[in-house]
Amino acid sequence: MPEVLRAERLTVRFGGVTAVDHVDLKLADRDILGLIGPNGAGKTTLFNALTGFVRPDEGTVFMFGREVTHLAPFQRARDGMGRTFQTDRPFEELTVLENVLIPTFLKHPSRRSAEHIARGVLDEVGLSDRADQPAMDLNLARRRRLELARALAIEPRILFLDEIMAGLNPPALREMIAFVRKLREKGLAILMVEHIMEAIIELCDHVIVLANGEKIAEGAPQQVVADSRVVEAYLGTD
Amino acid sequence: MNTNLFGLALLLVIGLAYPFVLPGYLTVGITMLLFIGWATSWDILGGWAGQVSLGHSFFVGLGAYFVALGQSRYGLAPWWSIMLAILAAAALAYVWGRITFGLRGPYFALSTIAFAEIFRLIAINEKWLTGGATGVFIASLPEPFGIDLFSRWTQYYLALAFALITVGIVALISTRRFGYQLRAVREDENSAMASGIDPTAVKLKAFMLSGALTAVGGGIYGIFLSFLEPHVLFYLLLSVQIALTAIIGGRGTVWGPAAGAVLLILSGEVFRTTFAQANLLIYGMLILAIVLFLPRGILGEVSRRLVRRRYARSAKS
Repeated sequence: MPEVLRAERLTVRFGGVTAVDHVDLKLADRDILGLIGPNGAGKTTLFNALTGFVRPDEGTVFMFGREVTHLAPFQRARDGMGRTFQTDRPFEELTVLENVLIPTFLKHPSRRSAEHIARGVLDEVGLSDRADQPAMDLNLARRRRLELARALAIEPRILFLDEIMAGLNPPALREMIAFVRKLREKGLAILMVEHIMEAIIELCDHVIVLANGEKIAEGAPQQVVADSRVVEAYLGTD
Repeated sequence: MNTNLFGLALLLVIGLAYPFVLPGYLTVGITMLLFIGWATSWDILGGWAGQVSLGHSFFVGLGAYFVALGQSRYGLAPWWSIMLAILAAAALAYVWGRITFGLRGPYFALSTIAFAEIFRLIAINEKWLTGGATGVFIASLPEPFGIDLFSRWTQYYLALAFALITVGIVALISTRRFGYQLRAVREDENSAMASGIDPTAVKLKAFMLSGALTAVGGGIYGIFLSFLEPHVLFYLLLSVQIALTAIIGGRGTVWGPAAGAVLLILSGEVFRTTFAQANLLIYGMLILAIVLFLPRGILGEVSRRLVRRRYARSAKS
């Protein structure tokens, strides 16, 4: 399968701390890659380095075979990289529809067609009935779906999901898992940072485990969770 | 959009009729219209894009000085000098924005004060360029189609056109892509970037448009004053008044700055005639009351309630 994203020896340092330490990763088309690891392992930093929100100190990132290491986040978004934020950050003052309109305008400059498409995206994530509600009034589960709708509205080919399952109640979690699976069937490549093991095991084709900024294990989810190094990283040793 | 069109038509009708109804209050009318235009222009940057400027008197001064110097030194008709002022304002906004949009929050606002101050000092000290502290006088103006530009009536209608154009432009922007890019940058720059928006480019465009429009009003103001002094035109107080007008009326709304201008100029006028010495005290209390009880400005609060009510109604049906 063609590869859509590749990182080589990606390294990010904050002062004396190496948050991401020479990490290699590959994401193939229609693949779901999971990024797991204990708190403070560097998952979000790696995620931000891949999406352009953090400058890596070393290493390179390729998107569709083209180097994008130093491209700004908005340039990567234009090239087809969509992302959600861990602490969801909707445009609070705007309505749900307006929130989705903004990324939709990227591919559809005219208001009429943008609004048409944005309503379609809202329909897809099940927020149609909330279109005119101010985003700040949404509950957590709906904010997550709005976050996802905004990422989808740029019509990405690669989707980065930063802990979109966290804090969801069981039914909402089931819905979200089913929805992500549907996205892959539609042809998206997905990279997800996630703490919810249930979601990782059900969805991911591959998993990368980070600890202290280093990649300590890699492989199919079932096999990785059984790895003694991974258990050690999560639970510690005696 | 329909309500905006209706509002513009209403402003046009009231604006056209005003001098016939209140011919004795033309100066108040001109001031009000100029402030509608300035506050609305300011709001493109300050309200829609969320970058508060306290240096917009610079653009007023730029427009006014271009008209005055163009006429008195080079015999250039005001419409040409206003066009030059538009270009100069946009160019300077671009340069200043390039330098300062790396700064977020209050630092950008502070830098705009410095920006206007620099030009105030230039205007005072560079006599060869600006006539220095003694000022410039517009002694004569061309009379296109026999229209007397020194007449208060002409100036009034020029100011009306300025107000209509600025509000019209903002009404147009507000529903389109650019308007949403501005809002996105104001609300959250990271989310804006994830949506493919280049925040710096958007802020630069907003600053250039805002500055250029303000300079147009400055040109009209220059004709209105016909005698220019640097400390009047590049004054910090004028910058603050422009910003305050938009903030009181409601930042980031099409009609907020206009409402603010009408309220502040009108109440300033009424308070001055009825409360004599106490007028500034009362004026200050009015502003304080609005900031305390309507923190989003008058129309800011109204539009928020409208959005909520519309949603509540649609959810019920």
